[in-house]
Amino acid sequence: MLKILNIIYRFLPSFLLLVLFYGCSSFKGPLYPEIIYNKRQPLISVTYEYGEIELILPLWYDAAVPDNILFKVYAQADTLHPILSILQESPKEFLAYLPQGVLDIQNKTNIIKIIPQDNNFDPVKVRFKGIRFGRLTLPRKTIKMGQLVVRGNTYLNKNDSLVSGASVTLQSYDNIINSTKSNQSGKFQIAIPGEYKYAEHLRIVAGENLIFKPFIKKLDFSKSRKLELKIGLGPSDKMKEPLYMTNKNNVHFRKSPEIGSETLFLLKEGEVVSVDKVTPGEYFGFIEVSLDKSKNIQLEGWINRSDLRLVNFNNIYKQQFERNK
Amino acid sequence: MKHFNKILFVSLLCSILIGQIKLDVSTIPKRVDVYLDGVNLGRSPILNERIKPGLHKFEIKKRGFAPLSYDLLVNPAQAIKLDFFLNPIYKIKFKTEEKGLVFELNGEHRWDVPYVRLELEAGDHSLRVFKIGEIIDEQIIRVDEPKRFNYYLKKPLTSN
Repeated sequence: MLKILNIIYRFLPSFLLLVLFYGCSSFKGPLYPEIIYNKRQPLISVTYEYGEIELILPLWYDAAVPDNILFKVYAQADTLHPILSILQESPKEFLAYLPQGVLDIQNKTNIIKIIPQDNNFDPVKVRFKGIRFGRLTLPRKTIKMGQLVVRGNTYLNKNDSLVSGASVTLQSYDNIINSTKSNQSGKFQIAIPGEYKYAEHLRIVAGENLIFKPFIKKLDFSKSRKLELKIGLGPSDKMKEPLYMTNKNNVHFRKSPEIGSETLFLLKEGEVVSVDKVTPGEYFGFIEVSLDKSKNIQLEGWINRSDLRLVNFNNIYKQQFERNK
Repeated sequence: MKHFNKILFVSLLCSILIGQIKLDVSTIPKRVDVYLDGVNLGRSPILNERIKPGLHKFEIKKRGFAPLSYDLLVNPAQAIKLDFFLNPIYKIKFKTEEKGLVFELNGEHRWDVPYVRLELEAGDHSLRVFKIGEIIDEQIIRVDEPKRFNYYLKKPLTSN
């Protein structure tokens, strides 16, 4: 009996451990072999931090400054939807802050449209290549007044036929600012810088390369920068043939044929005379004098025959030697 | 040597200019290995790393949490900050006294013993109960902590 108790005593701890182990494992139950996921979308927060683009466009005003300017910024060649539109008093530099990523950073497809709120100025575009973020200073842009433009045509007063190749010049006093010639259709267009808008003694001179007296007219751009002119050259159809023309300057146009009679006018070279009567030394005829913009009157008088030559309508252009005179 | 320095400087400059976006990554829990396109960035929080715009894959694995894989199209920006909240896995005990039932979780995991220990990702799981091949019950198990569920036929699960 003692021997049995001794054996029990010796193996009791191991027995108890076995009982505990099997008891607990049966209590815990089996572990499922895999982790079971429900494929739930993970919670993720993504935060972008965008930098700014500081866009600077220095401006320089030539001659005049418009009161206000509307600036429009377009990106990525989209000229329909400006990303920014600012109306402000004409600044020394245009400054705008744009969000990162709006500009094309590969090509010059970004545009700043400068629209002066003044009819004397034309809108200007500045194309530029963008940056990702940071400061972008563009080259200085000069804001000029819009060009003054004169367009129209040149024609013969006699029959309204268009004259091609007639010279047209814009002059301030006698200084030629710009010159051109009417084209095959008798049309011309000539422009000068906008700063001449307020210049006095601005005039257009047309037909200096023709045999007739040139057309001269004072120009007034105060109401519009663009003028349209129909320039009639030569004598009108009221001047009856035969037509003669003075062949030099300061030709006496006198009241009567007698020597010493009163001189009504001193005619310039190219003045056309409609001859009505002839004497051995003198012609009696009419000259055309314009009173205002559209009204011409005829005045009669006497001129020495040697001061006139017959008008040849087959060639109304001055010869080279005549032009060099 | 001079040339080598030049090349090193140019390549460094290029890498800085190309990968211009600053990257910060935080995770809950902290100190987790973060992989970007298969490259270990180190342990979170990750600060002042660089990333190029475009498609990238983030992977995070930690024992006790569901592995996370996230594809992200990174837009051009000055900086990007990512916060990942890992989904924990809880130990669940599931017990029933009903006889002859087969249990199925999320349409793929099955057992038929009356008492089982499970490791479940936090969130909702779909439980279906079968008896002789027929569905006799369907329930949603919501796991948000270690729990012990007791199942009684056609009654809502009770936990303790």
